[in-house]
Amino acid sequence: MQLYLPIAELPLNLFLLLGMGGAIGFISGMFGVGGGFLLTPLLIFVGVPAPVAVASSSVHIAASSVTGALTYWRRGALDLKLGLVLVAGGLIGTLLGVAFFNQMRKLGYLDLIISFSYVTLLMFVGCLMIVESLDSLLKRHRGKVMAARRPGDHRWYEHLPFKMRFSRSKMSTSLIPLVILGSIIGFVGTVLGIGGGFLVVPALIYLFRVPTAIVVGTSLFQILATMLVATFLHAVYSQAVDILLALTLVTGGVIGAQFGARTGQTLKGEEFRLLLALLILSVGIRFSIDIVIEPADHFAINATELER
Amino acid sequence: MRRFFALFLLFAASPAVAEDLVLTLSTREVAITSTYTGADITVFGLIERDANTIARAGGYDIVVEVRGPAGDVVVQKKDRLGPIWLTTARKRFSKVPLFSAILSARPLAEITDEATRGRLKLGLVHFLPEPAPDDQSPLAEREAAAFRDALIRLRRIDQAALILDNSVTMVRPNLFSAKIPLPATAPTGLYLVHVSVLSGGVPLKTVQAGFVVRKVGFDAFIANAARNDAALYGLVTLLMAISLGWMANAIFRRD
Repeated sequence: MQLYLPIAELPLNLFLLLGMGGAIGFISGMFGVGGGFLLTPLLIFVGVPAPVAVASSSVHIAASSVTGALTYWRRGALDLKLGLVLVAGGLIGTLLGVAFFNQMRKLGYLDLIISFSYVTLLMFVGCLMIVESLDSLLKRHRGKVMAARRPGDHRWYEHLPFKMRFSRSKMSTSLIPLVILGSIIGFVGTVLGIGGGFLVVPALIYLFRVPTAIVVGTSLFQILATMLVATFLHAVYSQAVDILLALTLVTGGVIGAQFGARTGQTLKGEEFRLLLALLILSVGIRFSIDIVIEPADHFAINATELER
Repeated sequence: MRRFFALFLLFAASPAVAEDLVLTLSTREVAITSTYTGADITVFGLIERDANTIARAGGYDIVVEVRGPAGDVVVQKKDRLGPIWLTTARKRFSKVPLFSAILSARPLAEITDEATRGRLKLGLVHFLPEPAPDDQSPLAEREAAAFRDALIRLRRIDQAALILDNSVTMVRPNLFSAKIPLPATAPTGLYLVHVSVLSGGVPLKTVQAGFVVRKVGFDAFIANAARNDAALYGLVTLLMAISLGWMANAIFRRD
């Protein structure tokens, strides 16, 4: 059944959109990532103009994270305090990102350098996580018990000033590294047009040793706050939000996110980290293909600048 | 404009040869609704002759050109820099028809020679604005030509520029129809249709018609709201996202 999308200005199959929204929603609910890094290219692939794809994905991400975050919230697996600190950091990062983005456009190829370093980072994080999670899976298999975090065990950056206690995440740490983390996510998200969920999740797990279930819920909360703002800004400034496209994607997405959040909570920590690592690695590979492989056609029409 | 003037002079000098061309389109307005998946617009035409019109040995050739609303298109080129491929050059083409099509019964090259095609501006390349005269070095010209070729090639791949050399049907020797397959992605706005009649490679007459593509009903409402009440539209979208997210949570809730 074809449905004409009034802002994207093309007809697409209704069930294709529902299915796409559902699949990405599942991943979002399960891993606490937004899924925009998958949904946006998928939409562009089926013919949606790039600005509409980016803007309408943000609605989908907002809705999936509402439903996911609520599920985690009900189970007490959402650290609101930690989430708010990350959001505050994200706000700083977004502002820096917008300023940087406008400067960068004048300078030229800096965006590619950022993509390149970002890809390297993703691959690096993905590989490290695969090694670590396989290692702990093996150890568990051999019957060794992993040492849980001990109360007095702190890393150097957690000793910095402005200490705060996050009881739900079972940690007390300095605000400085958390705000910096939030800023980096906000910055990367703004410059590259992707949410930073898949950087937040491993960072909270490995750098701050927050329990996995709480990481996912908190990450979803942070994504939700970011995407609500992003959607509104897209609607006002680029006017590229297609409400019909968003509605179909969201309908699939919220259902997918429910199942995703359930499935995610049944996974063991190591399994979760291994799957997330594979996801991060595949995203890294996808982005690197774009810039490392010789394009079949050296010329391309820059769809983002096509004026209607 | 100059083309019509030249033709006018030609015919004014020799009224005896004048064939006339009468056109009608199957529709003057293509309405985009929620179920829109593109449209076919048929051009019907009659070549009128009178007793004074000279006999044409080879029959008539019809060329239909369709030009949609214009806009800017940016073509970019990637080159290798170390291990990565990056965009090294961009070229902005302004006033490019965002949809264009040329319909005929046989390839344009068989209908008339290159000089006439150039004079009549038949062919996709003539739909592009002339290159800027500011930089005329051979290297820059070759580069510019590469970009123009790429633009036409990519637009054809995207179905935004069509060359259909078997889409004009001669129903009778002087009666024809041509079907313009307008893809769903063709932009909204005014479309101009130029129909030229040629015989033996000589252009005889060109007539213009047009149609409009526009959103109606719900789709027009949404498009207007997104443009004119952007903030309200944004808020409604957010409200929809949040309430659907909340609803899914409430429905699937087990505890």
